[in-house]
Amino acid sequence: MFVIKGVPASPGVAIGPAVLLPTADFAVANQHIEATEVKSEIGKFGRAVEKTLADLDANEKKLRDTLGGEYANLMSMHKMILQDPMLKDATIAKIKKEHFSAQAAIFQTLQELASSFDKVSDPFFKERRNDIFDVGKRLVGNLQENKGAFWASIRRPSILIAHDLFPSDTISLQENQIIGFCTDLGGKTSHTAILAQSLKLPAVVALSNAAKQVKEGDTVIVDGENGLLIISPDRYTLARYKKTQREIKKAESLLQTINHLPTVTGDGRNFKLMVNFDPRTDTKENKKLITDGLGLLRTEFLYMNIPQPPSELEQYQIYLSTAKKFDMRPVTIRLADLGADKIPDFPLDEFDKDNNPFMGCRGIRLFLKNPELMHTQLRAIVRTACEVPAQIKIMIPMVSSVEEVRHVRDALNKALAEFAKEGKKPVNKIALGAMIEVPSAAIALDGMIGDIDFLSIGTNDLIQYLIAVDRVNPEVAHMYDPCHPAVLRTIHQIIQTAHQRGRPVSICGEIASDVKMVPMLLGLEVDILSVPPRMFLRIKNRIRNLNFEACSDTAQAALLASSSEEIRSLVEQMNQDEDS
Amino acid sequence: MITQEIKIINRLGLHARPAATVAQTAGNFECDIKIAKGPIEINAKSIMGVMMLAAEYGSTLRLSCDGKDEKEACAAITQLFADKFNEEI
Repeated sequence: MFVIKGVPASPGVAIGPAVLLPTADFAVANQHIEATEVKSEIGKFGRAVEKTLADLDANEKKLRDTLGGEYANLMSMHKMILQDPMLKDATIAKIKKEHFSAQAAIFQTLQELASSFDKVSDPFFKERRNDIFDVGKRLVGNLQENKGAFWASIRRPSILIAHDLFPSDTISLQENQIIGFCTDLGGKTSHTAILAQSLKLPAVVALSNAAKQVKEGDTVIVDGENGLLIISPDRYTLARYKKTQREIKKAESLLQTINHLPTVTGDGRNFKLMVNFDPRTDTKENKKLITDGLGLLRTEFLYMNIPQPPSELEQYQIYLSTAKKFDMRPVTIRLADLGADKIPDFPLDEFDKDNNPFMGCRGIRLFLKNPELMHTQLRAIVRTACEVPAQIKIMIPMVSSVEEVRHVRDALNKALAEFAKEGKKPVNKIALGAMIEVPSAAIALDGMIGDIDFLSIGTNDLIQYLIAVDRVNPEVAHMYDPCHPAVLRTIHQIIQTAHQRGRPVSICGEIASDVKMVPMLLGLEVDILSVPPRMFLRIKNRIRNLNFEACSDTAQAALLASSSEEIRSLVEQMNQDEDS
Repeated sequence: MITQEIKIINRLGLHARPAATVAQTAGNFECDIKIAKGPIEINAKSIMGVMMLAAEYGSTLRLSCDGKDEKEACAAITQLFADKFNEEI
């Protein structure tokens, strides 16, 4: 038995055989195989060479027809590199004698070859190392069985072990028999983690090197409650976790009994509890939840995996069917927060060579540079608002200044005027609000508050920007800390500023569904919490068991605290009081 | 085994294209073909090996061919260098 500690990304416990996602990473230097696999690994290498040769042939022909001989010659040189006896012999020797996987053997051979080139002083020859790696990447690309074949090969409920997972991979996990997953990279609030929560898939992330420690077929336990990956558990541990699984199931059925009850604290203070809704993962169970509305509809997914941006009609159909599910209740649609880790397939100049994408052209910044994209989305939303009785609210992501809000307001008015010409008008007035997640917007909120109808604190990004910590970098992910004094004080200041002007404040980030942090947020007088559907009843139950006065006292004490540690002990104390 | 000294007389030296030509030509023969520059000796049928020599204008190489068709191989490769790989006309 072997236990690795990571970061809990999605609660629950999953037990099953491990499957390893073929790594898309070229630089695998140290991956070993069993002696019995040598033959098949050499065969794999041979097939990859053949396939690469065919690719290069096709490219050569294409280039000769279009760009002419010079470029085509480069391809024929690449073909020679591919068939070079030095590459072939050294790679096969590494597989045979040292039992490296084909990919590791290729990579090591290429590195050795490249380092010989590095020794040459003539810059012309040094450049050739790029040609070598170019060929190597192509070769490794062909070595990896294609993804479709990988998913199809999973025949029983399994646990996926991956170096990293893209949100687009995560979304299709369940249909591919995956019951839980672990990744080396990632953080609790990465979008992969958030998707895992809405899919109810137990997940642990930031495990550093799990992908190298687990072997295909090993029995593993994903403990999404405590952030543990347990490899080959002993009988006792296995039994204990099976019991935990049953307990979790039981607790969830108990929660169903409070669904129809109001979200009110023990001493009578009312709060609104909404859901972060994702139409792609709407389950039967979610449909039964009695909520106060849709607190956050993320729309980035509409822009992913398609060759061009979604049309007004495509968007409208999804917004319409979503809004209908919430009848008269508020429906908050966030303008697409593209950029950072959500890069669509269609080309936009802004995404080229962005070394620091979380501070780059994302969210509203991208939309203001591509007004036609924003116009289409605003029209789709307005069109929806003309059809349904729900109160449609538009939320602007990544706002850093009041000017951005005004630009969007103008664009919204333009879209409204276009519909007015056709004699169409929203059933309810559309509200325009801002996602407060950039520190500048939080600090200078008093200057912006008059221009917005509501606001929502995007705690995930706000914390990341306040502490200057990249939440997907495992080296610093642990510094991402909702209990940092700066975080609580900033949330407090936002809420106070908003309340002075009568604007309600919601929180839709990860922190809102953290059972331990909820008392603190209530104490800071947030009006609305918006949580993933799977956390909805747990959070409702928590609020119903709290005393608002006590929350308020704790929050006041926390605002005076000078360290995360002090705040965390206040949080813990609050939770112990409740448990006893 | 035949050994032969060859001098690089094309201005650009043994860069990518000539290296490719050498490796391609060498590949047409059955015998073992090695080229050495100072202490480094490489397989002439390997384009990467030939490039690794980084043989510049004016340098001298040692060609050795060993096998059934060694005479023809040696002649063909020596000719390539003498013709400056048909680059400078």
